[in-house]
Amino acid sequence: MIKNYLKIAWRNLFKNRGYTLINISGLAVGVCCFILIALYVKNEFSYDRFHSNSDNIYRVWQYENYGPKEEFVNTTTPISMVNVLKNNYPEIEDGSRVYRFNALVKKSDSEFNEEIRGVDPSFFQIFDFELIEGNTSAPFSSANSIILSESSAKKYFGEEDPIGKSLSVEFDEEIKFFEVAAIAANPPQESSIQFDMLVSLENEALFFSERARESWFNVVVESYLLLKPNQSAAQLEAKFPTIIKQYLGDNYEEGTFFLHLQPMTEIHLDPSLPPGLEPISNPKYAYVMGTIGFLILLLACINFVTLAVGRSFSRATEVGVRKALGAFRKQIVHQFWGEALLITLMAVSLGIFLALLFQETFNSLTGKLLYIDFDLSFWLITLGLVVFIALIAGIYPSIVLSKYNPIEVLRSRMVKGASMGLFGKSLVITQFVASIVMLIGTLMIGRQIDFLVSKDLGYQKDAIVVVPTNMSGEEADAFAELYVAELKKQPEVAEASWSILSFAENGWVNAGFTDKKNTYREFAVNIVNPGFLQTHNIQITEGRDFIIGNASDAQNGVLVNETFVKRFGLENPIGKPYDKFDIKILGVMKDFNFESLNNNIEPLLLTINLDPIFKHTENVELQHTTQPRVSVRLEAQNMTASIATLKNIWEKTNPGQEFEYSFLDEALSAQYQNELRSKSVVNIASILAIFIACMGLFGLATLTVARRKAEIGIRKVMGATITDIVGMISKDFIKLVLIATLFAFPIAWWVMDQWLQGFAYSVGISWWTFVLVGIIVVGIALVTVSFQSIKASMTNPVKSLRTE
Amino acid sequence: MLLELNNIFKWVQQGGQRVFLLKDINLEVEEGEFISIMGPSGSGKSTLLNVMGMLDTFDEGEYNFLDEPVHQLREKHRANLYKQYIGFVFQAYHLIDELTVYENLEMPLLYKKISGSERKAMVADMLDRFNIVGKKDLFPAQLSGGQQQLVGVARALISKPKLILADEPTGNLNSKQGEDIMELFKQLNSEGVTIIQVTHSEKNAEYGKRTINLLDGRMI
Ligand SMILES: Nc1ncnc2c1ncn2[C@@H]1O[C@H](COP(=O)(O)OP(=O)(O)OP(=O)(O)O)[C@@H](O)[C@H]1O
Ligand SMILES: [Mg+2]
Repeated sequence: MIKNYLKIAWRNLFKNRGYTLINISGLAVGVCCFILIALYVKNEFSYDRFHSNSDNIYRVWQYENYGPKEEFVNTTTPISMVNVLKNNYPEIEDGSRVYRFNALVKKSDSEFNEEIRGVDPSFFQIFDFELIEGNTSAPFSSANSIILSESSAKKYFGEEDPIGKSLSVEFDEEIKFFEVAAIAANPPQESSIQFDMLVSLENEALFFSERARESWFNVVVESYLLLKPNQSAAQLEAKFPTIIKQYLGDNYEEGTFFLHLQPMTEIHLDPSLPPGLEPISNPKYAYVMGTIGFLILLLACINFVTLAVGRSFSRATEVGVRKALGAFRKQIVHQFWGEALLITLMAVSLGIFLALLFQETFNSLTGKLLYIDFDLSFWLITLGLVVFIALIAGIYPSIVLSKYNPIEVLRSRMVKGASMGLFGKSLVITQFVASIVMLIGTLMIGRQIDFLVSKDLGYQKDAIVVVPTNMSGEEADAFAELYVAELKKQPEVAEASWSILSFAENGWVNAGFTDKKNTYREFAVNIVNPGFLQTHNIQITEGRDFIIGNASDAQNGVLVNETFVKRFGLENPIGKPYDKFDIKILGVMKDFNFESLNNNIEPLLLTINLDPIFKHTENVELQHTTQPRVSVRLEAQNMTASIATLKNIWEKTNPGQEFEYSFLDEALSAQYQNELRSKSVVNIASILAIFIACMGLFGLATLTVARRKAEIGIRKVMGATITDIVGMISKDFIKLVLIATLFAFPIAWWVMDQWLQGFAYSVGISWWTFVLVGIIVVGIALVTVSFQSIKASMTNPVKSLRTE
Repeated sequence: MLLELNNIFKWVQQGGQRVFLLKDINLEVEEGEFISIMGPSGSGKSTLLNVMGMLDTFDEGEYNFLDEPVHQLREKHRANLYKQYIGFVFQAYHLIDELTVYENLEMPLLYKKISGSERKAMVADMLDRFNIVGKKDLFPAQLSGGQQQLVGVARALISKPKLILADEPTGNLNSKQGEDIMELFKQLNSEGVTIIQVTHSEKNAEYGKRTINLLDGRMI
């Protein structure tokens, strides 16, 4: 029997090829989007779950509260934290720190600047990172062991066997040799701990000074704890205050310092805590993407239903005849299900094929590396998808059509007359609500990002090239000095200067100290040389800039920004020191956005000499390696030629190193990666959504026109013109679209309001975006419907009336 | 003279061959005439009626309507001409199912850009005249065939045409209902409306003052 239904279904679908094609292709596009987006969402939610202990691993974070505006949350901790906790609480099975640092790694002929992770020897016992070669049971058997990821093993050793080979690592001034003890598989993408090279923190004396190791305010390592099975993290947290009191000693103050545990599996998607060493995601993006995927699939399903319902009117006669001939209602239901199932199967297969075809494109959009894995869960999801679509798509036609009374249907009264029911109308409205919201989202996101990228930041970013020296120590400073001096002689160069961090690095040095009134304060610091303000055209509002060659400026002169003056309540600061610091404020700079626009402007201090600052800071946070970075403002002419000059001089002054550079404006745009990505995904999604919705509208218009053929004929005979007819048909659809805008506008407003709240600086919601989208959507709908209505109005009424 | 057909030919191309639907039709119709067209099925009666009603085109010959050369007129002008002077009555009534009797009657007036109050008066007039005031809010499905055709005739008359073209107006009705429609036509004709009807019934044809017989698209 089933075979019979499928056979009839197949013939039916083949007979109505156009209808079938619209249906299948629409659904397939929906399925393709859904699969790709499901991959993305699954990836986002599966971070750190591959460890067999993942439910018992926690990351320590600390919360410090020294009064309003003086609150600090860190997911990195003091260096000694893991050992302190491990030694005091038996609930803790084990723990490991993760520390990130930059160093120059050499292997005889090749040398690279690498990001190395320092971890405790228990690292591989706690986490399930796979060791594939070498000493896999005790990889950190000696303090000199270094473990390479597969990719870095290949980078240094190619086809050679790396085990037992030696690599030299250059710390500030010191060179130390490590022996490759093991090779680890590259860490999975869904991991909050990433590494290329691992060394043991038994060497911690190499990285940290005695004072840093003891300090409870110097937060530089991530601390992971593995709790014993069945131990409650909450109960353990409750015991921490005693330890804090004991270890802070004299620095202890009630209600200021708290330690907490964050489940490892929550790290990636919890934006309420700052990222540790690896970037985290805002689940907002996963939700946005998930919603879009689901909506597109829904739109495609709705198409299916509206088309099926529409077409069912022309099939009512068939049903009537079948019933009159004695078919049972059940049999008719089965037949419609058969058709729905067949279309669904074809659409899902095509959708999977499309997803395979477009997965690379999707990866380049999202910046991920996701591939369809034909495993059990994939097939389960596919099965669920087939059932879901077939249900949605088959339920209405099969129930409604099978209910038709054959006598009525054969008299063909009701059929001819039936207009698009309330159900059909609400489906079309739903589709357009979704499309309009997406379209508004697209425009607003686009505008917000353009705004971020082009906003005046208070300093010049165009025509500026940043050249990192990739060197450290006095030698590096000397070179930077020389290079800047040489550059300034070039006609292509307008200005040049160097600093320890450039504007290309988002987040400068954060320094924290306790002032004379015992308030903890934080400000950003950068070490610059005197031409810095001129290079970036930063304005001074009070006092003066550094003077080149002025010895006292170089000793203890500093510049601060307006926020610094306001926040710390300085009065007439020029020429004065600040708090305990032995410095002299030379000038106040007009505020500029030295961090990305996701952050507000914080107090900033620029200095030539760091010593007077660091003498009194308790807490220093570095997000980027420090090294002299040269910023060059070019005369805006031939950029490529100017770059060649920079390179030329580089090679003359510093023969050993590779020349690297980046354009500042490009580096700044890269800060908005997340936004740019969501922009392109939402762009494509909303185009698809509109496309699918219009396909539905087109199909519906076709069916409506077919159904109203006789009526159109009569009206023409009664004197209706083409305009009258087109107006009549289009009016009905445009009404629906207009109703959809009524629903869509408030929804879009709310959604965009939520989204924009994540930005410190936003364009705000503008009414004309809504008007524009309304016009666009009505226009598109009009064009879509007009195709059919114009065709219908041009047909000779004699023809349409004769067939009646 | 109301209309004049001179050497009208109409054909369709079928399998590389010309199939003639109308062959050399010559016809003059004076105002106030009542003509019946008869002939076997497929002889071209409806085709001829549609040509006269300007709903269909022809391939050769001349057609003058109130001294206007229809074969030379532009589509728009032609439409205005028949909107103003011609009313149609169909075998299948062709009322619009979603519209009430009242709205069905009003529809042709809408396309003539007649003002609201005037429309109201004209529709009320028709309802009155055909004795269907009580039915004005019913939908076509709620009427019998004869009543539906009554509405169909009323709709054709509402814009006060000079010529009524009726294609088997009684085809779907029983003989009593058919007779009523014929009596109505007769009365309209006596009021000066020109009527051309297609019919299969000798009895109905006798209501006409003149009968035209068609065979294979040719007048005999
Ligand atoms: N557009 C067309 N293409 C092909 N053949 C056509 C076309 N229009 C009409 N015919 C044919 O022309 C012939 C005349 O048709 P017409 O409808 O005028 O006949 P009729 O006399 O009204 O018949 P009946 O009494 O059955 O209504 C028929 O054979 C019909 O099939
Ligand atoms: Mg006929």
